Amino acid sequence: MKLSQYTLRNLLVPLLIIMTVWAFGFYFFIMHEVNDETNDTLLNYKEIIIKHVLEDESLLRDNIGIMNSYYIREIPAEQADLSRDLFFDSTKYIEVEREHEPIRVLRTHFLAANGKFYELQIEISTLEKEDLKEAIVWSIIALYIILLGAILLVMHFVFKKSFRPLYAILGWLRGYHPAKPQPLANATDIDEFKTLNEAFVKAAQRGSDIYNQQKQFVELASHELQTPLAVSINRLELLSEDPHCTEEQLMEMASIHRTLQGIVKMNKALLLLSRIENGQFPETEEIAVAEVIENMVADFKEIHEERRINVFILKEAAPTFHMNRDLANTMISNLIKNAFVHNIPDGEIYIELLADRIIISNTSESPELNKERLFQRFGKQTNRPDSTGLGLALVKSIADLYHINVSYHYNGKHQFLLEMKK
Amino acid sequence: MKILVIEDEDSLRDVMIRSLEKERYVVEWAANYREALWKMNDYSYDCIVLDIMLPDGSGLSLLEELKKMKKKDSVIIVSAKDSIDDKVRGLDLGADDYLTKPFHLAELNARIKSIIRRKQQDGEMNLSYANIIIYPDRHAVFIDGEELLLNRKEFDLLYYFVTNPERLLSKDALAESVWGDYIDQVDSFDFIYSQVKNLRKKLKTSGAKPEIKAVYGFGYKMTYEE
Repeated sequence: MKLSQYTLRNLLVPLLIIMTVWAFGFYFFIMHEVNDETNDTLLNYKEIIIKHVLEDESLLRDNIGIMNSYYIREIPAEQADLSRDLFFDSTKYIEVEREHEPIRVLRTHFLAANGKFYELQIEISTLEKEDLKEAIVWSIIALYIILLGAILLVMHFVFKKSFRPLYAILGWLRGYHPAKPQPLANATDIDEFKTLNEAFVKAAQRGSDIYNQQKQFVELASHELQTPLAVSINRLELLSEDPHCTEEQLMEMASIHRTLQGIVKMNKALLLLSRIENGQFPETEEIAVAEVIENMVADFKEIHEERRINVFILKEAAPTFHMNRDLANTMISNLIKNAFVHNIPDGEIYIELLADRIIISNTSESPELNKERLFQRFGKQTNRPDSTGLGLALVKSIADLYHINVSYHYNGKHQFLLEMKK
Repeated sequence: MKILVIEDEDSLRDVMIRSLEKERYVVEWAANYREALWKMNDYSYDCIVLDIMLPDGSGLSLLEELKKMKKKDSVIIVSAKDSIDDKVRGLDLGADDYLTKPFHLAELNARIKSIIRRKQQDGEMNLSYANIIIYPDRHAVFIDGEELLLNRKEFDLLYYFVTNPERLLSKDALAESVWGDYIDQVDSFDFIYSQVKNLRKKLKTSGAKPEIKAVYGFGYKMTYEE
């Protein structure tokens, strides 16, 4: 969920409740005021009528008008209650209009000058009140919708404007890679975002520095190792030629020699990784993958002749990679080598060449490999002594360089997929 | 045959000199740019083994100096840097070969021999040991004048043995000489074993006097007893 959606949603709920309460409150308050006004009018009217009637007894009769009327009726003295003013709403049938119209009624008792008790009923048409009520309801609904819409719209734009620097930082972070840090162009007057900018730029710089230091360290360390390794291997070779060496000593030396060769290989792979990351393979060309694969398969078949591995190459298309030839060889040979090395005697290798992808699958004794660690440096999942744990890291690093997608799948066979990203 | 080894790392230089002296070369050495420059100026060598990273200068500028002196000494660059740029520059400046550290002594030997041979013989180059003669350019082998047919890998192996006779060659070095270093050596040990076995058989039946001996776990050695 987006921050803006989240905020607006949280804002919307209280806003809806508050505005609904306000709308009802407003409506009832206004209606109450209107009734009060009508009651006041009725009371005034009552005062005037009673005053007139007391002065002139001939007026003790009904008066029927269009907007208001009153009725006077004599009542027995025991029913009279002079202190009571009864207000109520009612309807009245108007013959001209042929319909019932709303009225407000005041019923009260009074003692006339002649000593008799009368009941006075005053009726005022409240047609206007009904109109007013309708107008108020519609106004409230309109106001409700418009206000709500306006608040949300304003919030949306204010939010967008206020948080623009945040989104600029997020966009920048998404594109961040320690190998090539980009400057953060995010001018803002807001203190919080200024602080955030500075903090992120500093952290990114630190990340890049550490990354570069590590890269440089690996590079220098492997460089520095070359000479001592050369010395050790060459001294051992010289020593092995000493005719006084016994069989046991030679066996021992052979084992040391092999271990040293393993270190050399690992070191070379590390150097190669550094050089790939440093972009030291600028020359590229179109590589016909089928040809490279066929040559390699021939070589590997020869080496692994005794294990009688069957290789099936299915050429449905002639894919090409646009990349450095040495790196293409390294990438493909590592995958094919793995398919041979981790195979079983009389096993099978299938190589499918499609227009935009290459699939290399092989039979093996080992179960499904951990996809997470597979392409990491030293993420090896076998304990073969001759494995450097860098082969697939190299493959991944080369593939990344040329925007080739490399992935691993398991369907009873181990399957490596190289996909060209278009 | 005179060889100049220019290498600042004492231990490596020492082992290179000892290996080269076994091949009966006269070996001189220099540990830095200055020393190397005056030795190159004052003497002539059949081959110069040049480390391009020297404490007081670049081996590549030594190479330029050498060309300025109009000397014809062959040069093999030895570098800890497996950089294509350096390789191309070195070869452009007139180096004859480029070897990346670490290398097998047998490999250095083979390269030096190949360079000296190329320089010495103007006509067709060949290489011989006892009654074996190899013509590297056309991949032909003759034993007592009879041609011996070998497959490509067997030929590469024999060539390596003949350039390093009487020396113990490790399986790693042999595997590298056949495959280059893009294939794991350990994987190819069985292959080396069967190829050497075949080669040995072929040499024996064709009457070659030298013999390939297995030396325990380490590797093989070509020997010839008069």
